[in-house]
Amino acid sequence: MGKKLLTIMLALVVVLAGCVKTKSDVSGEKDSGDTKGSGGSGKVTIELLGTSAGEDDMNIVRDQLIKNGFDVKLNIQPDYGSFKAQRDAGNFDIALSSWTTVTGNPDYAVRSLFKSDGDNSDINDSEVDALIEKASTETPDEYKETYKQLEQRIVGEKAYIAPLYISFKAQGVNKDVLNPDTVRLAKSRAIAWETIDFNDASKRDTDALITQQAIGSLTSLDPIKGNDGSINTLNTNMYVRLVNLTDDDQVVSDGSLSYNYAIGDGNSDYYFLLRDDINFAAVADGKAVDTGERVGADDVVFSLNRAKNKDAVPDHRTYSLHESIKDVEIVTDIAELQDAKQSGVEGSVLEALELGLETDITELVGEKTAADSNAGKYQVIKVTTNEPFPQVLNYLAHQSAGIVSKKQVGSINTYDVAAFDVNKDIPYGDQRTVTEGATYKNHLYASGPYILVQKNDYQADFAKNPAYRADSEFEPKISNVTVRFIEDSDSALSALRNGEIHLFNGVPETKYELVENDDKLVLQKNDSNAVTYLLFNAVDREVAKNENLRKAVLYSINQDEFRNFYHGNKKKAYSTVSPLVETGNELIADPAKVKEYIAE
Amino acid sequence: MEDKLNNRHALVLSKEYPQANFTWIISLIISMVFLVNSYSFKTGEMNTFVFAIFIAYLATTFLQLFITRKMKRDLLDTGAIQKKARRLGYIQLISLVTGNIFAAAFAFNLINERKTPEYTFAVYMFLTQLFVIAISAMNIFKPYVTDTFPLAMVVLLIFAAFHVAVLIIVAKMVGDVKAPRSMAIVAILVLLTALTGNLFALLLGWSLLLKSMSNDRSRIMKWNVMWEKITRNSTATLGMFFIILMLTISVVSRFTFDYALAVENDYSHILQPPSLAYPFGTDNFGRDVFSRIIFGARISLLVGFASTAIPVIIGGFLGGIAGYYSTRTDNVIMRLLDVLYAIPGILLAIAIIAAFGANTTNLIIALSVGAIPTYARTMRANVLMVSNYDFVDSARALGTSDMSIIFKQVVPNSLAPMIVKSTLTIGGAVIATSSLSYLGLGVEPHIPEWGNILRVGSTYLESHSYLAIFPGLAIILLVLSFNFLGDGLRDALDPRLD
Repeated sequence: MGKKLLTIMLALVVVLAGCVKTKSDVSGEKDSGDTKGSGGSGKVTIELLGTSAGEDDMNIVRDQLIKNGFDVKLNIQPDYGSFKAQRDAGNFDIALSSWTTVTGNPDYAVRSLFKSDGDNSDINDSEVDALIEKASTETPDEYKETYKQLEQRIVGEKAYIAPLYISFKAQGVNKDVLNPDTVRLAKSRAIAWETIDFNDASKRDTDALITQQAIGSLTSLDPIKGNDGSINTLNTNMYVRLVNLTDDDQVVSDGSLSYNYAIGDGNSDYYFLLRDDINFAAVADGKAVDTGERVGADDVVFSLNRAKNKDAVPDHRTYSLHESIKDVEIVTDIAELQDAKQSGVEGSVLEALELGLETDITELVGEKTAADSNAGKYQVIKVTTNEPFPQVLNYLAHQSAGIVSKKQVGSINTYDVAAFDVNKDIPYGDQRTVTEGATYKNHLYASGPYILVQKNDYQADFAKNPAYRADSEFEPKISNVTVRFIEDSDSALSALRNGEIHLFNGVPETKYELVENDDKLVLQKNDSNAVTYLLFNAVDREVAKNENLRKAVLYSINQDEFRNFYHGNKKKAYSTVSPLVETGNELIADPAKVKEYIAE
Repeated sequence: MEDKLNNRHALVLSKEYPQANFTWIISLIISMVFLVNSYSFKTGEMNTFVFAIFIAYLATTFLQLFITRKMKRDLLDTGAIQKKARRLGYIQLISLVTGNIFAAAFAFNLINERKTPEYTFAVYMFLTQLFVIAISAMNIFKPYVTDTFPLAMVVLLIFAAFHVAVLIIVAKMVGDVKAPRSMAIVAILVLLTALTGNLFALLLGWSLLLKSMSNDRSRIMKWNVMWEKITRNSTATLGMFFIILMLTISVVSRFTFDYALAVENDYSHILQPPSLAYPFGTDNFGRDVFSRIIFGARISLLVGFASTAIPVIIGGFLGGIAGYYSTRTDNVIMRLLDVLYAIPGILLAIAIIAAFGANTTNLIIALSVGAIPTYARTMRANVLMVSNYDFVDSARALGTSDMSIIFKQVVPNSLAPMIVKSTLTIGGAVIATSSLSYLGLGVEPHIPEWGNILRVGSTYLESHSYLAIFPGLAIILLVLSFNFLGDGLRDALDPRLD
């Protein structure tokens, strides 16, 4: 009986084993390799830091690292604030980070991240510093090679970062409410609200444009004190700049404070002919009012000087963008413009500045109240750089170069910078002054098309600047703009689909179809400069000291898998420069190299 | 006339008749669900496979309806169900092929007129084994199976064959209060098969041992009465069945399922709709949702049981001490626990997770701490009552130590309400686990846990709804099962209902 049972049992095993393939049949070799790896306790543990919004990326990285023989500990923080606190405390081996080059020039994509004195950098590498400086003085044709070397140094040789992908920009627009043709989607710059219009023009004054951003805690409404997702769009629309970027990153004067600009011969002098039809707006009784104060050359000089001066304000976050500026001055002698030659082309700077003007320049004035373009009286600003640095124009188009009121900022920032006390002193642009409640005391002076009236935890309300280029095509179309703070992109997408918001910048890659298939929505897509990468801890931890360990992680990364996960809606990246310069570098996952580097 | 009235009583008192009704209604509902799902409203196409299942369930329903009619007539005419009707049960057993547990359980119940708890245990033990085999067998459609799969399946099949044999022996040989001595050997073998997590085998083995070895009639009677009360309640039994099925599958899945399919990303199979290889489809990382749910049962049950057992033990101990000793001890313990009680449980859990990080151990601690006071209160109330009984006084008079009195006399006699309460709160713990994971505060997101799976599904509700439906159903079924079982236990254990 027992014998029979045993035979039957054996027969069953054989039959069953014959019908199905077991795991080791399918991947015999690979599997035994795996078990060998998991058998040893000598696995390196990597702590991966990220926010819950980046959970999917973290899972892919975790999966890839584990498959390459690492152990992974996840440190998922609920929001960017706690993520940053963890990152500053150094509680990570690799941190899931992203960088968007909002100025559209490659220098910005590396300067603050990798230079020893960069404000976002822990890396200290003199070779990297030298390459960044060298590239900044070069023209696009020349710098291609320099940036290629820089990338190889940062990624291939030293593995300071491990690149993951370049994102697309995608924007969902409610076409039943908004006219999609008026909604811009630029590669680099933040969205401009003034051009946006309703389908029904009669609603301009009665209805508000409702848009969305993820972060509700605003770093600062002083343009030089912040450079992050919480204020980029807001400050871009609140402060006018000397120049602007087009949707494909060309520097132009459209929608800026200047009629025209010109580059002087030698690439060190930059001239800007100022407009005289913009006044600062302020908020009184919950409404935007015209202060009667014109935005003029003295405000520009004041704004740019404080932008480049590290000690102009406490917590200056953007001085490294403007450190190339040597001098900002008002030109009052028209002869200087006649004598100065343009860079690269024939003709004087004056000719370039006069291009397309209704009334030619007859006189340059120093006092902004004296300027009158109809009478030929203009103001001209000259910016001089330390080295020849054509990319300075991109920085002048950045929100941190927004023009603030010399009078107003001077009257608010009366504290001593060295002895600044965050609990006592209230600096210009502090979000407490615009948050509803006891601390509300709106002191903003906006030179741009809109001004922030007030905010709370759920939304920020903006009103149009009544004295911003009134009666021109650049006059803001819609009177009121509401920015909802919706952190989760899926919730924001739902808000767009049910009509709660009209515009959603940042549709997740996996949800393009939903927007495309929705009758009342239209999906706008463009390239972007947003690069997601893994930042290695450069201060303490094993990865800071061990270059081979960093490289082992680097070569574990398989960018194709990211592209598959995002349904092909991502591009390969090599560094933060990748979207701006075609260097031809590519990261190819290589498990063999990983083993080699771990062994070392 | 008198006779007719008596027969009406027979109809009301019959245990089988309500179950028969319950069965055909449930079968009808399930067949309707299949009918709706067999037709795609978008494309207008019929899914022949689902439609075939619908037909099978509908056939079961009609057969069941027929049996029910016959039973009613029998009961009204003669006051008892006739042999002929009972034989129909054998035909209804075929419904087992379609996985209709309701009809199958009923059929087993109908076939055997003389019902002992052992027979019910044996039936459910066999059914559990059968379902585990069926669920595990789904793996053969996968590209590959785990290395231990063939051997594990053979072992499971042998167990199932053994269970059938036991079922027949039990039906034939075990009486109401007595079983042949030789049954003890069978009992031990049955107990061994309980190692797969099949607790019905444990119950059956224990019960058989009791009947074959013990001569304590009153003890056996008490055991019989308790289980009779529970098994009479078909929802409670089905609840117990589902819980034990989940328990068994989480033990067996170790050998029959491949964990890699549940956690490793597979980018070539992203968001696949349900198919034979992926019965519940794949998620956004290409992981098999079916495997994830199976492995998720392990965590849900573990956290559910552990986060109930810990407060039961700690709360029970504190409550026992507080109830037995004087006002001062009582006051100190209970007032301290009141402080803990004042903090909302889920808030406390979130705070603990936020402070110490998200992993399974912290999750269990977080959920346990908040539940201690309620158990302490329950225990204290019971101890206050029990410690006034005569047997406690006698123990005291005999000079037994306090600790011995508390833990040998008082606590065992106060356990019934604790058991009922904990069964009812395990469901709550399962939900709390899933809720915390859903909020991103539970276990790490890649770990297969029902709340995690549901969270992924919730972002694809519109385009790939199966990602949310299946984990949602799993949570609902498990919690419902615990609640039904808790209700059944309360009915069986509550002395007030005697």
